[in-house]
Amino acid sequence: MNRWTGRASDLDEWLEELKQEPELMDNVTHWHTIPPREARTAPLPEDLDPQLADALRSRGVDELYVHQSLAYRAVREGKHVVAVTPTASGKTMCYNLPVLQSLLENDDGRALYMFPTKALAQDQVAELQKLADLMGAPIKTHTYDGDTPPTVRQAIRNAGHIVVTNPDMLHSAILPHHTKWVKLFENIRYIVIDELHAYRGVFGSHVANVIRRLKRICKFYGSSPQFICASATIDNPQEHAERLIGESVALVNDNGAPMGEKHFVFYNPPVVNEQLGIRRSSVLETRKLAGMLLKQGVQTIVFARSRVRVELLLTYLQELVKDKIGDRTIRGYRGGYLPKLRREIERGLRNGEIRGVVSTNALELGIDIGQLQACVLNGYPGTVASTWQQSGRAGRRQTSSVTFMVASSNPLDQYIIQNPDFFFNRPPERALIHPDNLLILIDHVKCAAYELPFQAGEQFGSETLEDMLEFLVEEKVLHRSGSRWYWMEQSFPAHGISLRSAAQENFIIIDLSEGSRVLGEVDRFSAPTLIHEEAIYIHEGVQYQVEKLDYAEKKAYVREVDVDYYTDANLAVELKVLHADKERVSGEIVRTYGEVTVNAKATIFKKIRLRTHENIGSGPIHLPEEELHTSGYWFAFSEEAAAGKGTNEMQCALLGIANVLVHIAPIYLMCDPLDIRVVPQVKAVHTQRPTIYFYDRYPGGIGLSERLFEVHDELLTRAKRLIQHCTCLSGCPACVGPIEEVGLLGKTQALKLLEEAGAGR
Amino acid sequence: MSAFRDRFNRLRGSVGAEAEGAVPAAVEIHTPEQILDGAPAGEAPEAAAPPTSDHAVPEQTALPEWEPYGVRLVRHEAGEFLLKETRFPITHRHGIHAFTEWTAAAPSLAAFHGDELVIGPDPCSADEMQENPPVPHDVLFLDLETTGLGVGAGNVPFMLGISYFEGNEYVVRQSLIRHPAEERAMLADLKDRLPQFRYLVTYNGRTFDWPLVQSRFILNGFGSRVWEPLHLDFLHPSRTIWRNTLVSCKLSRVEEERLGVFRQDDLPGSEAPGRYFAYLADGNPEPLADVFRHNEIDMLSLAALAIRFGHLLAGHIGQEVPVPTEPEELVRTGLWLEKMGAVASAEPLLHSVRGLDHAPPSVWNRLAERDKRLGLWEEAVSLWRKSAAAAEQTGIPSTEAHIELSMYFEHRTKEISFALAYARAALELALQHPLSGRANSKRRKEIDALRHRIDRLVRKAAKS
Repeated sequence: MNRWTGRASDLDEWLEELKQEPELMDNVTHWHTIPPREARTAPLPEDLDPQLADALRSRGVDELYVHQSLAYRAVREGKHVVAVTPTASGKTMCYNLPVLQSLLENDDGRALYMFPTKALAQDQVAELQKLADLMGAPIKTHTYDGDTPPTVRQAIRNAGHIVVTNPDMLHSAILPHHTKWVKLFENIRYIVIDELHAYRGVFGSHVANVIRRLKRICKFYGSSPQFICASATIDNPQEHAERLIGESVALVNDNGAPMGEKHFVFYNPPVVNEQLGIRRSSVLETRKLAGMLLKQGVQTIVFARSRVRVELLLTYLQELVKDKIGDRTIRGYRGGYLPKLRREIERGLRNGEIRGVVSTNALELGIDIGQLQACVLNGYPGTVASTWQQSGRAGRRQTSSVTFMVASSNPLDQYIIQNPDFFFNRPPERALIHPDNLLILIDHVKCAAYELPFQAGEQFGSETLEDMLEFLVEEKVLHRSGSRWYWMEQSFPAHGISLRSAAQENFIIIDLSEGSRVLGEVDRFSAPTLIHEEAIYIHEGVQYQVEKLDYAEKKAYVREVDVDYYTDANLAVELKVLHADKERVSGEIVRTYGEVTVNAKATIFKKIRLRTHENIGSGPIHLPEEELHTSGYWFAFSEEAAAGKGTNEMQCALLGIANVLVHIAPIYLMCDPLDIRVVPQVKAVHTQRPTIYFYDRYPGGIGLSERLFEVHDELLTRAKRLIQHCTCLSGCPACVGPIEEVGLLGKTQALKLLEEAGAGR
Repeated sequence: MSAFRDRFNRLRGSVGAEAEGAVPAAVEIHTPEQILDGAPAGEAPEAAAPPTSDHAVPEQTALPEWEPYGVRLVRHEAGEFLLKETRFPITHRHGIHAFTEWTAAAPSLAAFHGDELVIGPDPCSADEMQENPPVPHDVLFLDLETTGLGVGAGNVPFMLGISYFEGNEYVVRQSLIRHPAEERAMLADLKDRLPQFRYLVTYNGRTFDWPLVQSRFILNGFGSRVWEPLHLDFLHPSRTIWRNTLVSCKLSRVEEERLGVFRQDDLPGSEAPGRYFAYLADGNPEPLADVFRHNEIDMLSLAALAIRFGHLLAGHIGQEVPVPTEPEELVRTGLWLEKMGAVASAEPLLHSVRGLDHAPPSVWNRLAERDKRLGLWEEAVSLWRKSAAAAEQTGIPSTEAHIELSMYFEHRTKEISFALAYARAALELALQHPLSGRANSKRRKEIDALRHRIDRLVRKAAKS
């Protein structure tokens, strides 16, 4: 410690000092140290072009990490490859090396790179061009996305060796105009898909279909490219890659990159109200920890889960260190910042001028910001995979790094913080996709037919293609001539299909306060409860009142207001089981997976005063019922388990269990918590018993409920343990929910029901 | 099948829609494929095609249901399609132009060089064009009717109109496919014909018709470099000349206003796809008769327009082509001709613009801009003065001339007081217009820039 500045000489010393501070250490539930790892390397491949080898050496790369070498070899052997390694392990080399080598061998060859976002694509082009320039090789790399000026598009189509794009562009611009890309498609050798884990859920299911279309076009031009994929750590990289590209792939996961010592600290804010189970705000604790790090001069990244929190923490931190260091050294980073500003911040982080950054998960993806020394997570990021990715932002090859995870009071955070073994011993989540979801599939069958006529005997997805084609003939979209089906409609199908939005028909929200501007959008199923007329819609901390909801046009008109209440709508949900596919019994519980329809109708809304939460008024909602046909999983308690419990008691118990489940279900799924819904029913129509239903909130389902059906026992075990270990007296937001919701006995009743049913172990 | 529909509708949550899409069972429907000799659709052509030599003229046969429309069946070695061939005598008159004028007009179209006007695969095409001007018989006219918009792979040209001069006739060949599987034969036939032409004439064919044909060649396996013509697309020059004089530069509008062609009961082009879908659904050729006619007029007008531009470039204004009456068109035509290198044809037009007593400010400004570029300051200043006066008299908020004059006096003659006077007059002009309100951001910027200019000039005047 330097007596004059109060600064530790390095991070290790500071961490040792920290361990001597009981006030802080009382809140640390776990301190995990990952020992440093030596690099494991392999020589540069013998067949590597001398130009390329020289270029690498001139950048100080004399040998490869083993995973890079393995990936190179697998690609050279002609295999499709998926490389899985953590952040900052030199992943891009896994595909850049074989691609550049191939282009040096054959100048006519072409490669297509696909990244989920534009920013990532631009980073890549810079990186590739640097290598090409070092070699003095005439290899042209270009991005092709919405920002590409029309004047250079033609040149890129003809001359670009490596075209870097995103799935949306492929879907709506490149594939439907494939005849302009003859040179690319005739000569394409490699398709590189990075950030593979980003393609999951509905988006991933769409992208899998875009890839089916891409392969179909390549085949038309007589090419059969090799796929090289790279992914952050997920539980099922190989399976996920295979489902996404429809080919068997070789897995490369032997990470050879070195890593300094890594400290992972679980921090639970202290309880301030024992009875209600209320903890100190995680935002304030995050501010404290990040502030300490920044004062020590440690370059730090803070991740927060929402945009509002990012801005809040940014304000706090800038205040905290105002006197110590210059103002521009702590910055925010999130969606909504302009690309130019983002580039500036990334650059500042790389060259060390920016000492601290507060970000949403926007910085989780592989954007190059160099390696930082410390990371503070405000709340559990939602998945094991995300947590490792965010934590990976701090970690240098030589020196130590530290990650603090500050838990919030939601049940998932509390579960993770109190069960560190679960986090450290568990593989990250599985990436799930369901490319054969009928609605998604048929959209892409249309696009594919637009691109090339279908021929009898062709395959596209697992559905019987001919049935779909004949259906589209009846719909007067396709025309059949002999054994072929042709697109015969005036429209351009890709324009009506967005890869990103969950339900296609989103409602847009238009702010009339000043002129009219689009404020945001809300999916169809949330619209009735969020933007009914008179609803208070909150956007970036500002209140708006919905003046008019044009249901047919899917538009809500809002105006800024300043009121002291928010609105909460009641949704009457009716669930019907259409078909039961699988059934299993464990203990006193029968669980089933199958198809369900959900009819939801918003009935009334309440006005609730801010802070006091008293009900100060209500009104009816007149909106049509929404019907959702999807896949679901449900479990029912036997008569024995239910025996002796009154309706009210059962109601509270089920609600309590449902509250816990909805929060911990994402442990098993790589999804947005809103993608899955839970509905408890005291006496369900289908089972005639107390039942808890889960359903995928996307028409046709995307595989979430099915996965939960498989892990049912484990899921209930975790739920039970979470309730048992929660320190609250009788229910809190971190477990079964607040007393106001589940009653005074909710916690014990939920636990009792689970125990009597022999749920879990 | 209906099981699939059920599932689909359930997912969509639209159970009620079920009945709509269903095909009524009572009506018997013959698709075009079924009508074809009862042969299995799409597979017949190969077996039926008679052996032909390379240069054989495809065989044509009459079909009873098509006979009334003058349409016959063509058997090409690549398959079958329909064809309507109409021969117009060279003496035929389409609007104000007769096709006999083509011989005199065609050669001067060689002036169409300049990079932006010729889709040439290589830069030497312009020279080539100058040395080998179009002769009447090596120009191909082309116009498509398609099932959709844009040049995406799913937009199918169901009717392909080409025309050319042959002997003493103007030949219009309109091919039609009875179903999409016939497209290949139709394109093969086109491909056979292309090598005898060097020039391609279209209207909006630079971005639409020709790229689409190229795309169709690729999709049907004929490759990407079937024919590389010297392209003459008349949309761009039409816009250059008529942008501010005609309501729109659609071919039908140009025809009516400038070529003296009046279409009666013409099918709007946008309705053509619907007619074709109707035909595909029941095989009745009747709705297509209007499409044939619409396309035929397009083909005739294309030739008339080519004649018009040839005349313009050849300096035939005042003879075969009337002198433009509107000042705007007069100046634009003159400037276009000058840009195309037809200086001799341009000179009299520009001269007559200068002689006009009244014209909108934009006319003077356009010509002044040209004079300024050439360093003819005296002429430019005189035109700007006319323009400024016209703007002030009519209240048209055109401040361009004032600003040019202000700059001229500030930088060239250093007469700051004049410069200031014009800048102030410009501001006054901009402010007095009812649209000068805050709502118009372009105006707002202009006004801010003027205030800035005045401030600067005031400071400059004070210093000297």
